[in-house]
Amino acid sequence: MSSRLQGRVALVTGAGGGIGRAEAMALAAEGAKVIVNDIGASVTGVEGQTSRTPAEQVVAEIEQAGGEAVPNFDSVADHKAAEHMIQAALDAFGRLDILVNNAGVLQEQMVWKVSDEQWEREHGVHLKGAFNTIKFASQIFRQQQSGRIVNTASPAGLGAMGHASYASAKEGVVGLTRTVAKDLGRYGVTCNAIRPAARTRMTVNPDLEANLERMREIRTRPGQFADPMLEEIVLAGEGLKAEIFHPGNVASFVVWLCTDAARRINGRTFFVGGDRVGIYSEPTAKSVLCNDGPWTLEVLDGLFDLSFLSDDMNPNAPE
Amino acid sequence: MGTRLEDRVAIVTGAGRGIGRGEALLLASEGAKVVVNDLGGAQTGEGGGSSAPADQVVNEIKAAGGVAIANYDSVAESDGANRLIQSALDAFGRLDILVNNAGIIRDRMVYNIPEEEWDRVHRVHLKGHFNCIRAAAPILRAQRSGRIVNTSSEAGLGSMGQASYGSAKEGIVGLTRTVAKDLGRYGVTCNAIRPRASTRMTENPELKEATTRMGELRKRPGQFAVPEQEDFLIVGGGPDPQIHRPENVAPIVVWLCTDKAAKINGHTFLAGGYAIGLYEEPRIEAEMICRDGWSVDAIDAALPTTFLARDMNPQLFDE
Repeated sequence: MSSRLQGRVALVTGAGGGIGRAEAMALAAEGAKVIVNDIGASVTGVEGQTSRTPAEQVVAEIEQAGGEAVPNFDSVADHKAAEHMIQAALDAFGRLDILVNNAGVLQEQMVWKVSDEQWEREHGVHLKGAFNTIKFASQIFRQQQSGRIVNTASPAGLGAMGHASYASAKEGVVGLTRTVAKDLGRYGVTCNAIRPAARTRMTVNPDLEANLERMREIRTRPGQFADPMLEEIVLAGEGLKAEIFHPGNVASFVVWLCTDAARRINGRTFFVGGDRVGIYSEPTAKSVLCNDGPWTLEVLDGLFDLSFLSDDMNPNAPE
Repeated sequence: MGTRLEDRVAIVTGAGRGIGRGEALLLASEGAKVVVNDLGGAQTGEGGGSSAPADQVVNEIKAAGGVAIANYDSVAESDGANRLIQSALDAFGRLDILVNNAGIIRDRMVYNIPEEEWDRVHRVHLKGHFNCIRAAAPILRAQRSGRIVNTSSEAGLGSMGQASYGSAKEGIVGLTRTVAKDLGRYGVTCNAIRPRASTRMTENPELKEATTRMGELRKRPGQFAVPEQEDFLIVGGGPDPQIHRPENVAPIVVWLCTDKAAKINGHTFLAGGYAIGLYEEPRIEAEMICRDGWSVDAIDAALPTTFLARDMNPQLFDE
């Protein structure tokens, strides 16, 4: 037990397993009192079943290690339930200092096959879910002039075949993070995001084994992966099954972002997984061309000649 | 009249005014037959629909010798988006180009956003983009060709008071990158723009006030993380209506729809005034490796002195 977060209260959503569980336990190990939120759904959330067991089990683990925690079973996707969840933190521990948005569901599907139900389920949990908890937590953070928010985005937001719904929700979380950082920064609150890689039931399961096989096959097409880190993790080595990708390695950095040492880090996105911690650049318009009047198609036809564009800017070109 | 898009059929959503109108006019002047979609609502998404804006643009296109029909469906509804795509097939027998432009805006600090407002903004922008792409994708995929241009925003890079708009717009970037991978191999490209233009969306009193407020806030050091945005909003005193005419966004959008742009897929462009720019994708700009995995102690010792700079808070607070 360490004491960096002594006297602080933290809420972790989706903390019944995987990365969220590791985050809850690591926060508790630094002295934070933790609300362990989890509705106990499946990876896809499709079946709609819930269970109190995962959250209760993590609470028991934290208590066994000498920490303090309470379970919560509200759904982040429900605006009113999120308000209730924040209130539960106040009721149990009298304050709230840290919000870690981790809850998520995932189903792979090519864009033309994504149903309204899947889109709404994934966007409801990831993107609106992050907004729901941030809205109510920030009302408290703003008043007390301090607070930490860590959101969970994904390398998939940088483009991942078959993830239109998941990836757009996750990149929306990045946009939300940047904006909340500006909305709340002046109140002593920071809001950052991670794009994690870890061995959890979402990433290592029979479905994924099949996907890995498929990705290895697809990889023979040139330029398939735009993100070298993702490619490296998913394909090059032993994949996420390696011991080093245990969720605890994601949690350490998330906990650090919640400490006083990280108060100047706000609105940024980090890669966290295995033995690595990396910081992402923000998108900037690196090459800007100015015309002396409105652009015409005649002039634009010469864009390749100006080296403004190159021939290999299609990540999945037809063969 | 050019002929780059002769015999092609294009849909532009939200084409009754502003940027969408400019895109529809230029597509038609290159020979494309255009479905001018606009439900004629207020920029906040409130109020009853009016057929006048779409009809007027159709008349303008016809007066210039082009071919166009009007459509008044809402992209926020799956059925509406499906009807919109079908209307192109019914009127012109095919579909080649989809320009997703429809959008609304509601500015508010994150702790004050009512649920309905979040839902409305996300339904039009992010779900609206998805609805149209999902309906168009089977057609483009079957014919092994197609162009999709989405409309994101610099607000997705972080913009105070725009949590719902900014997150929806960055979600569109994530959607763009993923759709590019889902459809690239079928000869379809999907790109996005972050436009700058003086339209009724930027000319409204609410935003003018925000611009003034941002000018005040700028006196705090390190306020803006995105120099382009700063230039645009502050140094320029907001968009210059002469240079930032909405029509000036259209050339790069229409060029992306031509054969010349076949190799550009999954990218994001700055477009506005006399400038065009290519955005760099987020990349891991610095990383640290700890062979045995990271602990909070290890991070505490290593990070603040290495790749994290002191000034990474875009919204500094008084300590």
